Amino acid sequence: MDLGTVLSVILLAPLVAAGLIWILARQRAALAMTLSLGAAATILCLSLWLFFGGWDGSAFEISTEWLTLGSLTLDVGFLLNDLSALMLFIVAFVGFWIHLFSVGYMNDDKARGRFFGGLSIFMFSMLGIVLANNLFMMFIFWELVGFSSYMLIGHYLDTDEAAQASKKAFIVNRVGDFGFLIGIIITYWTFGTVNFNELREVVGTQPQLVTTLMGLLLFCGVLGKSAQMPLHVWLPDAMAGPTPISALIHAATMVAAGVYFLGRSFFLFTEEALHIVAWVGVVTAVSAALWAFAQRDIKKILAYSTLSQLGYMVAGFGLGSLYGLHHGDAHNALYYGIGASMFHLTTHAFFKALLFLGSGSVIHACHHEQDIFKMGGLWKKMPLTTLTFAAGVIAIAGVPFIAAGFFSKDAILYVAMKTSQPAFYILTGTALLTALYMGRLFFIAFLGKPNSESAEHAHESPWTIVLPLLVLAVFSIGGGYMIMYPVTLQEVMGHWVPHPHGKDHTTMIIISAVASIVGLVLARIIYGAGAATDKLEKTLPPVFAISRSRFYFDEVYGYYVKKVQDRLADVVAFLDTLFISGVLVRGSAAVAGLLGVTARRLHTGSVSTYVWWFFAGLVLFGAYAGGFFDGIIQ
Amino acid sequence: MTTQLPIALLGGIGEFLTSAGHNQPVLNALLLMLAIVVPLVVALALAISGALSERAVKVCGAIGFLVPGLISLWLAAVYISAFPFGGYAFEMSADLGLLERFGIQLHLGLNGLALPFYVMAGLVGMAAGLYAIQSGVERLRLYLILLLVMQGGLMGVFSSIDVLFFYFFHEFALIPTFIMIALWGRTGRKAVAIEVTIYLTFGAMITLAGLIALYLFSGAEQFNMIAMREAIVEAPYQGTIFGLLLIGFGVLVSLFPFHTWAPRAYATAPAPAAMLHAGVLKKFGLYGLIQLAYPLLPQGAADWAPLLLWLALGNLLIIGFVTMSQRDLKLMLGNASVMHMGYAFLGLYAYSTVGIGAAIMMLFAHGLSVALLFLLADVVEKRGGTADFKELGGMGLRAPVLMGLFTAAMLASIGLPGFANFWGELGIFVALFASDTPWVLYLALIGIVISAVYGLRAVASVFFGEAKGEFKGGDITPAEKAPALLLLISLFVIGLWPKVVSDPVNESVNRSFKDAVPTVTASTDEPTLSE
Repeated sequence: MDLGTVLSVILLAPLVAAGLIWILARQRAALAMTLSLGAAATILCLSLWLFFGGWDGSAFEISTEWLTLGSLTLDVGFLLNDLSALMLFIVAFVGFWIHLFSVGYMNDDKARGRFFGGLSIFMFSMLGIVLANNLFMMFIFWELVGFSSYMLIGHYLDTDEAAQASKKAFIVNRVGDFGFLIGIIITYWTFGTVNFNELREVVGTQPQLVTTLMGLLLFCGVLGKSAQMPLHVWLPDAMAGPTPISALIHAATMVAAGVYFLGRSFFLFTEEALHIVAWVGVVTAVSAALWAFAQRDIKKILAYSTLSQLGYMVAGFGLGSLYGLHHGDAHNALYYGIGASMFHLTTHAFFKALLFLGSGSVIHACHHEQDIFKMGGLWKKMPLTTLTFAAGVIAIAGVPFIAAGFFSKDAILYVAMKTSQPAFYILTGTALLTALYMGRLFFIAFLGKPNSESAEHAHESPWTIVLPLLVLAVFSIGGGYMIMYPVTLQEVMGHWVPHPHGKDHTTMIIISAVASIVGLVLARIIYGAGAATDKLEKTLPPVFAISRSRFYFDEVYGYYVKKVQDRLADVVAFLDTLFISGVLVRGSAAVAGLLGVTARRLHTGSVSTYVWWFFAGLVLFGAYAGGFFDGIIQ
Repeated sequence: MTTQLPIALLGGIGEFLTSAGHNQPVLNALLLMLAIVVPLVVALALAISGALSERAVKVCGAIGFLVPGLISLWLAAVYISAFPFGGYAFEMSADLGLLERFGIQLHLGLNGLALPFYVMAGLVGMAAGLYAIQSGVERLRLYLILLLVMQGGLMGVFSSIDVLFFYFFHEFALIPTFIMIALWGRTGRKAVAIEVTIYLTFGAMITLAGLIALYLFSGAEQFNMIAMREAIVEAPYQGTIFGLLLIGFGVLVSLFPFHTWAPRAYATAPAPAAMLHAGVLKKFGLYGLIQLAYPLLPQGAADWAPLLLWLALGNLLIIGFVTMSQRDLKLMLGNASVMHMGYAFLGLYAYSTVGIGAAIMMLFAHGLSVALLFLLADVVEKRGGTADFKELGGMGLRAPVLMGLFTAAMLASIGLPGFANFWGELGIFVALFASDTPWVLYLALIGIVISAVYGLRAVASVFFGEAKGEFKGGDITPAEKAPALLLLISLFVIGLWPKVVSDPVNESVNRSFKDAVPTVTASTDEPTLSE
């Protein structure tokens, strides 16, 4: 098999599955599941074949023309290199386990055909982003993941929440894509190409062509897709979708596509642009962590945690690249931003997918109860879920050496320390907050005694749910060690990640250890095991209120939509009816009517009269056109 | 082995089509003629024959729509395989005695600019016809007669090389619209029918004046596109003639501020008439501008460009906001279709091979998607008993297939990649940034957000939420689904494989516009692809 064929099969397998589901299996849930799971398995097997020998690790590109219009040529093509291979592995691996989980989780859903079809369309779109070798193709799949996200958030059609959330996700992403597309078009006209490899060559010879504006416009796409401030508002609402969707799309893969895109096009960002990127990430990371404290819904807490971790990745990219520019003398300094962000993206994909699936297992067991204060004592009922969830909490909190998140967060904190002191302090504080709110979630929901009937009657989930949890737990704990990955994938995480040395190394370990362990211990002390009420809300209402306000982003946008946009639309529509339709059109008809009796007679109001007049006019004009009157006039 | 077989098969088909193109000129030209004649003859036969069973009427109607549709697909396949170097194919001309004196002949043929419009007319015609046949409307025979006359006219519009016939066929297709609105429209039909008739007749008159002026000043021997294109070197009064054509055609395409007839007409018209008019007939104006006004009057186009820019932005942004405030599904679709014309005009404004080619692609896709949306909106209206958003809701659980089709159609029309509409919009955006005024891109792109807002609101208020209002008739029936799938699959195929449309378009656009660039549009500071 040649690489081009394998990659094509990887990309097209889920599309074919989705097509077959739409044609054959809308009403046949079992067939739909088999097709979708089969496609996911095909992707995983072929990817593993690539990483264990099928691909030698050197960059591979294949491309063919898609469309030509005048001077615009669009290509469709694949670019498999260190970065895209790693992303392919994450999507294929996490994707497969979430597919398997869905089989168990969605077993009583009435619209499984639509669900699994959507899941397969998502895999297709996401793989398109991963493999795309040029910006236009990436944009196309970028929009398509937006579509699959829209479709799957709206899965529970009859709920108002799903209707609003799906719409919001798509529209907010479109706002981001507004800037993204301008950025791509500017890139195209500036460099004459949008192919990543060719762009890089041109930038190498003419670095002066890269502008800050260009990078920031491209970054708008990341703001939308990776839910960075101020376009983060759609992600928490997106939890209205089924839990496997939250795990796959809104935690592990799609929302990370923005970070992946930054890595793919890192050479298009100037130093100023990198500063802004880094700070957007830092602010998102800390704000979302603060907001997590006011949430009671287990999925919402995880959603804010995802926002915060995405902020880490984006900050990691910005800070890492800046570090590479100024301090890096090593061979791979150029790639420090990619290394730092992609390493965290990888470990986050494991532990956040695990946490979401764990929450899904809990929700499934508790008959769709999502309020953590109505859970409690689950460790007795669901030991495996509790154990794996604990692994996820340890991983995200970044407990030294036994957590994947420790190594990857460490790299980001290290580049922050070396680049910007304020960013470093904020991110370290955020690490503490992360451990604190995750501890709050874990201690309240899993320990202590049950706080509701549904928690009382909870029981361990079936193997299709538990097996993915176990696999992901192993990677959440071990994912920081290179031995867990095939050799061909170790380049990015092995060589591109900036590592502290000597004294810095010790400092970083101490900081991480303190932040994570203090955070977890504090959570146990403050919130207690299996609490039924929120301690913070009771004791410090003003602090809780700040957290719950989420800085009023939703309120401001809601105000804009209702009071500005919709009113403007109504006013414009009113003016359109009044002036253009009313005064101009009807007015001129009235003037014509006043011209005299003849005119009145013509406007009899009967359609057929107009038709006859029309034909008469047509004949006259035709005759005139042909020169029929020439003789008469002369 | 496994991959060789399909390739060999495709190659064989390609060879067959190529030889069919080169060896059967008479047959293909005859087919072009038949595509116009068959619907008209069927219409005539239905009109003059005595009592017929309902079944016979339906079969006749189906033949009248399927023949031109299939011919258009066949000719497109032959064109793409056999005429890679463009120009007019399948030419035929017939002497008409007296008219010959005025330089007028029945002269038919297709070039790459006309081909997408021609295929669109065939496809939408099939869909509208099939939908009409099963609609169970009163006085079905008259309904089908009028639609068949429209269809015959439409096939003629886009295959006429002779300009008088080009215009004449347009009128042929236009008049049944008025009658259909007046007879089968929903509430307020009489007033709307009158408004549309006056308005469009007015537009058509100005167009005709412009066309005649163009003919007279071109000094061409014949009133046809080829002769005029060869004759025009330095026509006087370019600005005036172009102005007449722009306003005249503009009225017919609902260019801002001449758009007010369109939304009400489409909302009121019975669905098949709205499909044919909004989908196909309306494109007459832009087709005329692309085929005649722009290549023949480059200086006029340049003179009018600044005004056109603001009018096109009016379509896009002002009507975009108007669309957002609509409370009725069909009125919303009518406004949305006016809004989308703004993109096409912006493509023309950019006046580059990218812009004009993309405008054609966009119009092709828009024709299919707007027809599909009117069809599905009609199904929604039938099921829910109303098209008012406030009274609709929760249809998704009761009619999942209808929801799937409607959502797909809506997303296609708001430019989701994977459907044909995306390519046109993308090309127009790319072209805008290379025009004299790159900032227009920033304004034009607001359109993608606006259309997402109203499109998804429509989907949400019709299909999401709890079941609301009455609901009769179950999910979409196979008879309603067939024409919808025909359109949706076409949109999807072009979305995945745009070269089918873009290659002939690109070839013809390069041929027509290469030498006619008036004021160079691409800014010279920036490197282009060729450098």
